[in-house]
Amino acid sequence: MDFSLTPDQELLRDTGRKLLERECPPALVRAHIDDPSAYEPLWRHLSEYTALGAGPAADLCLFLEETGYAAAPGPFLATTAYTALTGDAVTTGTVALVDDPTLLFVLEAERVDRIAVVLPGPRLAVVDATDLPVHFVATVDFSRRLFTIDLPHLDAQPLDAEMYAHWRERAYACMAAEMVGTARRIFDMTLAYAKERKQFDVPIGSFQAIQHKLADMSLVLERATAAVHYAAMTIDGNDPDRTRACHVAKASAGEAARRILKDGIQIHGGIGYTWEHDLHLYLRRATADEYLFGTTGWHLDRLAELLIDT
Amino acid sequence: MQLAWSPEDEAFRLDLIAFLDENTPEQMRTGYDFQDVGDEHELVPQWLRDWQATLFDHGWMIPGYPPERGGRNCTPVQTLIYLETMAGRRMIRSGHFPGYAIVAPSLLEFGNDEQKRLVPAAIRGDTIWCIGMSEPNAGSDLAGLSTRAELRDDHFVVNGQKVWTSYAMIAQKCFCYVRTDPTLPKHKGISLLIIDVDSPGIDIRPLRHISGTAGFAEVFFTDVIVPRENLVGGLNGGWAITQGSLAHERAGLWVEGVARFEQTIEGLVKLAREQGRAGDPIIRRKIASAYELAASLRALGYKGFASFAQGSSAPEHSYMKMAMSEAGKAAFELGMEISGPLAPVTDPELGASTNRFVHGFFMSFANTIAGGSSEIQRNIIAQRVLGLPRR
Repeated sequence: MDFSLTPDQELLRDTGRKLLERECPPALVRAHIDDPSAYEPLWRHLSEYTALGAGPAADLCLFLEETGYAAAPGPFLATTAYTALTGDAVTTGTVALVDDPTLLFVLEAERVDRIAVVLPGPRLAVVDATDLPVHFVATVDFSRRLFTIDLPHLDAQPLDAEMYAHWRERAYACMAAEMVGTARRIFDMTLAYAKERKQFDVPIGSFQAIQHKLADMSLVLERATAAVHYAAMTIDGNDPDRTRACHVAKASAGEAARRILKDGIQIHGGIGYTWEHDLHLYLRRATADEYLFGTTGWHLDRLAELLIDT
Repeated sequence: MQLAWSPEDEAFRLDLIAFLDENTPEQMRTGYDFQDVGDEHELVPQWLRDWQATLFDHGWMIPGYPPERGGRNCTPVQTLIYLETMAGRRMIRSGHFPGYAIVAPSLLEFGNDEQKRLVPAAIRGDTIWCIGMSEPNAGSDLAGLSTRAELRDDHFVVNGQKVWTSYAMIAQKCFCYVRTDPTLPKHKGISLLIIDVDSPGIDIRPLRHISGTAGFAEVFFTDVIVPRENLVGGLNGGWAITQGSLAHERAGLWVEGVARFEQTIEGLVKLAREQGRAGDPIIRRKIASAYELAASLRALGYKGFASFAQGSSAPEHSYMKMAMSEAGKAAFELGMEISGPLAPVTDPELGASTNRFVHGFFMSFANTIAGGSSEIQRNIIAQRVLGLPRR
């Protein structure tokens, strides 16, 4: 098992990182709170990378860590999920899972051309987004836009159950990749703050209480990141461990994000609780992501079935 | 990133499996539970000594070393495969780690030619070693040790006390850290001596674990004469050696801990079924959570190994000890929760399928203390990995 990145993967990660650093600063995420069109200049760049949705999960997850790190608004995650499900790598899209406990709403439905609707069965219908009435659902996270859609009678086709199960696993890993990215952003901000903020005439990061919190945050972050990379490898290798690995990835990412956002704001103290500080932009995303594509508890329950009932 | 081993590495793995299939001692095939053994006299039974020698003679003791040191010059990746295969089969190399894991690599790095001659016997297990480090007033603050060695012409005179000294009762030699200059700052006045355990003036008193068995000892030194040539690494040069261990294996040693943790989780699933708790949603979620922890730590270990194999420092290794020792404790705790009222029962009949969890729980206390407590590990991560300032 080799976790080292290929030169191409390193290049992809670095390109994504630089692109998002330049095109998606906190000011853009903040502007997106009141002006949903603020994502458009960023999207002109990100839309060039949506074909990653049809490629190896390892590459896509590396890129998604960066979109998560920047809390990038827009339909990137949605489109890569749509592409993986439909094979359509040309149009923008999103997915709607009907009667599914892991995804109640539809990501970015007003910003895409097509919606892949998965009905129980599973059956699949791909429809024009413009044909469907969509309703915005406000959440605590301003960086994503969620919707409900009014579904007419759809002419759905059977979807291969195994292929769909694999798509779902990939979606868990992708969501987890974005989450560890966002968690890393909060961690980096917190670590930097602990080094610069002085109380009692010394940096607060010299206090053992703060050091031990940061050590624990760092451990949970590193193992969630490793779990995501491992899950991506099992997907690309169609390894027998892939189902477990993808549940582990989303559960670990959820655990990491929650721990880091809570301790992150605690270490920031009062300043982190203000609207003007950027921390809440990422804290909101990390909080809300837990409820997309299955909560930590939901994934642990699936793992329990695999471990105990089979 | 890829899952599969290269053809050469796969061939290495198959060679190892063929050797193990042929040579594994009967006692280990029938489930020798090395986690539960407390008494050092039974920890190193004759068959286990023979097994260590067999591994050495066939180049499977420390595969990364050359044949004369019990290896076959394998690559770091192959060392990881070796450790993983052994752990997956619940196999151990030796009943006493100090000689092969600490003394041998330290002598190879810091010893003179004469001292290096002690290495093969240390690795083969022909000589049993103990390590004289901790003292009553030097625990986490190891550099505060006060066992005194005074140089008089051609010999040292050693006076003082060591504690928590594993294997002292059965060892022939002690790798002993002593204070040779009390006037220097504390890290700078420490030296390392090789002391024959049967020297006059050494008194060894076994210390019982909380599990009730004698696992380690107090060692008292009263005017013990140690020849000057037994000094390793120069006068007052001891501190640098405390950092030494199997550097090229350290990158993979976590795999044993992860494998044991995974095996404990398998045991928890079995126990939950036996105790009729397999349908309890709280127990189910806790088992899944332990699995999630084990799987993510395994991934983290591999990720760290990849950076190590490429020559970078790998902070991942700093995380593994802390995480594994705490996870092990929690897993035994979960076993006790599943056992319910049977949890504290040590009665061999009534507690037959449950008593190993409470026993393991007690044994696991040592793991978050010994070899650098979890609190010291957090300090190391915060200061050396995250770059936070020392006070």
